[in-house]
Amino acid sequence: MLSRKTKESIKTALAMAIAYGIALSMGWDKPMWAGFAVAFVSLSTSGQSLNKAALRMVGTLLAIVVSLTLIAWFVQDRWLFVVFIVAWVGLCTYLMSGTRYQYLWHVAGFATVIICFDAGADPVHAFNTAMLRAQETGLGILVYGLISVLLWPSNSRADFEDSVVKLASVQHKLYRAYHDLMLNKADAADVQALRAEAVQAQTGFNQLLPAAQTDSYEVWELRRQWRHYQRLVSEVGEVLEHWRESFDELQALDLHALLPNLEAFDAEMERRFVEIERLLDNQVPQDAPVPIELALDKTGLDQLSHFHKAALTVTRSSAHRLEVLTRSLLDCVSDIKGFSRPHTGAEYHVDKKSGFVPDPERMLGAFRVMLILWVAWLMTIYVEGVPGGTLLIMMATPIGMAMSTMPQVSALKLFVPALSGVLFAGLVYIFVMPQLSSFLGLGVTIFLATFAICYLNAAPRQALGRAFGLGMFVVVIGVSNQQSYSFISVANTALVLPIVFSIFMLTAYIPWSPLPERVFLRLLARFFKSAEHLISTLGHDPQQPLTTLQRWRKRFHAREVATLPGKLGMWGKMIDPRVFPGTDAKQVQALVINLQALSFRISGLIDARQRPQAEALVQELTQDMRTWRLAIQALFRDWTAQASIESELALEARLTKKLSQLETRVSETFEQIGEGRLKPEDYRNFYRLLGGFRGVSEAMVGYARLMRAMNLGEWRESRFG
Amino acid sequence: MMMDYVPIEFSIGGVYLPPLLVASLFGVVLAWLTVMLLNRYRLSRWFAYPPVVFIALAIIYTGLIGTFFIPV
Repeated sequence: MLSRKTKESIKTALAMAIAYGIALSMGWDKPMWAGFAVAFVSLSTSGQSLNKAALRMVGTLLAIVVSLTLIAWFVQDRWLFVVFIVAWVGLCTYLMSGTRYQYLWHVAGFATVIICFDAGADPVHAFNTAMLRAQETGLGILVYGLISVLLWPSNSRADFEDSVVKLASVQHKLYRAYHDLMLNKADAADVQALRAEAVQAQTGFNQLLPAAQTDSYEVWELRRQWRHYQRLVSEVGEVLEHWRESFDELQALDLHALLPNLEAFDAEMERRFVEIERLLDNQVPQDAPVPIELALDKTGLDQLSHFHKAALTVTRSSAHRLEVLTRSLLDCVSDIKGFSRPHTGAEYHVDKKSGFVPDPERMLGAFRVMLILWVAWLMTIYVEGVPGGTLLIMMATPIGMAMSTMPQVSALKLFVPALSGVLFAGLVYIFVMPQLSSFLGLGVTIFLATFAICYLNAAPRQALGRAFGLGMFVVVIGVSNQQSYSFISVANTALVLPIVFSIFMLTAYIPWSPLPERVFLRLLARFFKSAEHLISTLGHDPQQPLTTLQRWRKRFHAREVATLPGKLGMWGKMIDPRVFPGTDAKQVQALVINLQALSFRISGLIDARQRPQAEALVQELTQDMRTWRLAIQALFRDWTAQASIESELALEARLTKKLSQLETRVSETFEQIGEGRLKPEDYRNFYRLLGGFRGVSEAMVGYARLMRAMNLGEWRESRFG
Repeated sequence: MMMDYVPIEFSIGGVYLPPLLVASLFGVVLAWLTVMLLNRYRLSRWFAYPPVVFIALAIIYTGLIGTFFIPV
């Protein structure tokens, strides 16, 4: 019985040999373009491969339109020609690091460069070159598509369904763990692994959904419901995190007394998570969800301080969101599985992103690729005898674009697989191919070499080795109907690689250092700059409309605060603790978790500020809130400048003093206003705002504590990368 | 005397390599070893922009090798 990796390797190898065979028998020039298509669209299931194939084809067609337009307009002026090519590649690089159609934009970018530089010098044949590229890409895709469908077809549906069940089970466990954490029955450190598992399960689900839509009619038919399910489960993950962030302030409270139906609420949530898992397992529904709200014990509540009331309000609000969300999720799963049951009426609205907000990391990636292209182009023109000629540009573009999506990976790490690919292909080209005299021999050689590369690089972490191995093999063997052999062509290709990677390493330092600790500090400063801006917007009356620019800036900074902790986590893992003995990996991880908490709390505070506040409370407490807000802003400003961090003890003392002052002020204000004049909603909105301020302040004290234990002075020192 | 400094290509199995390429390879390797040592003893912190220092060292070493060991 053949293993899965053997089968997949045979499929790719067979497709490669057949694609070359057809291209050669048709007398087409550059059959390697068909080989490239096979090499890069072959993935583990037919759905994934067909999706990638479609993106490659559309990307190629788009590249053809752009290339022919650029050639038609600028072929007489090489500088304008290059300016527009570089601008187009920059745009494609920016778009490819987004969330949709990444591969389409990747292909659209580098295929434009290949067609333009191949045909630009010979504009009379530009159309033929572009058409050749399209038909050979189509051929490679068609051949691999047919083989993947006919030979050991591998459907994504089973993997997709497994990923759905796994995600539901992990979210259930995470809910359980957070519930125990709230009641002090679990250790926060144990929950970390579960959180990572949940993120991984969500990523797996997100990757498999488009593939399953393509190769499974059942999933395609229900694609709208599945996309809705995807939005809901992603929201469940987010709401669970928001909920967990409010636990620290609850530790001193007797929650069972204050929330009398906490156990009933938990039992209902537990039932729903179990029911979701049962439905996904195709079992008939049992319990209909019962709407439930966490009740408050009025007597117990009156004895609490205002800040404890605020913390409780924040927790209840997250619990309420979770309650509505799980009901929506149950409805959605029932729909998908075709169980006719009355809808619970829960409509959870997931906010859709609106408007364009630039991402600085993606812009930096696009800038670097444009720079790489310029350097390669100028070298080709002005450095006499540079090996490879335009091959330098054609090689630098796709690799540079791919590297822009993984900036934390050093160019040196890619150099070894690329060079190994050239060496392997060089050996085949020099010692095996000259002995061949028919396509039978060539086909068998291509099959065996492709099989070896795929089989030896079958694990997902070896994807780079596979890509470079196949890519370099196709380039170096340079198959054509009038085959000629030249050592110089292998030597030139081998020499182009160090030059391309030298360009990558040099441009990586422009405009900022790519060393992980430096990037970490830069992102940290950006996080606090954005946090400061968002906090400053609290001073704005939510009833007054914002100008377009203000709205746009707020959206930009909100996105920065939401996404930067994730980016910091990624870069934090790359910091080598052996180089910086003053800081260990656990401290960096704790810092990232703290920043994530700060991010959630800032977004909670911004959200709380949007809710209407009672006029009487606004009049009395505006000044107190303002001084608090300004103090937070001042600290964020200091941290942006990475000035010395105030001791956490001093901060804690300031916070305790402020809390006690406010406690008194709030009590006085409530007494002054008198009972019965404020509606329950006024209390709820006010306590959410107060809880938001306190939550942010507590997270800031935690940040100061962590920072003082770390020796970041070392990170600021210059060093060679 | 000057005849001693005529550039001679390196032949590896019949493949000729220009002397400047060989000298620059050694120059880069020596520069790399130097920056490793500078990092090891925390001397790199005295440089404002290390990547340029690396390039400068590689050029200096290549020049020295080209002058004294491998005529380029």
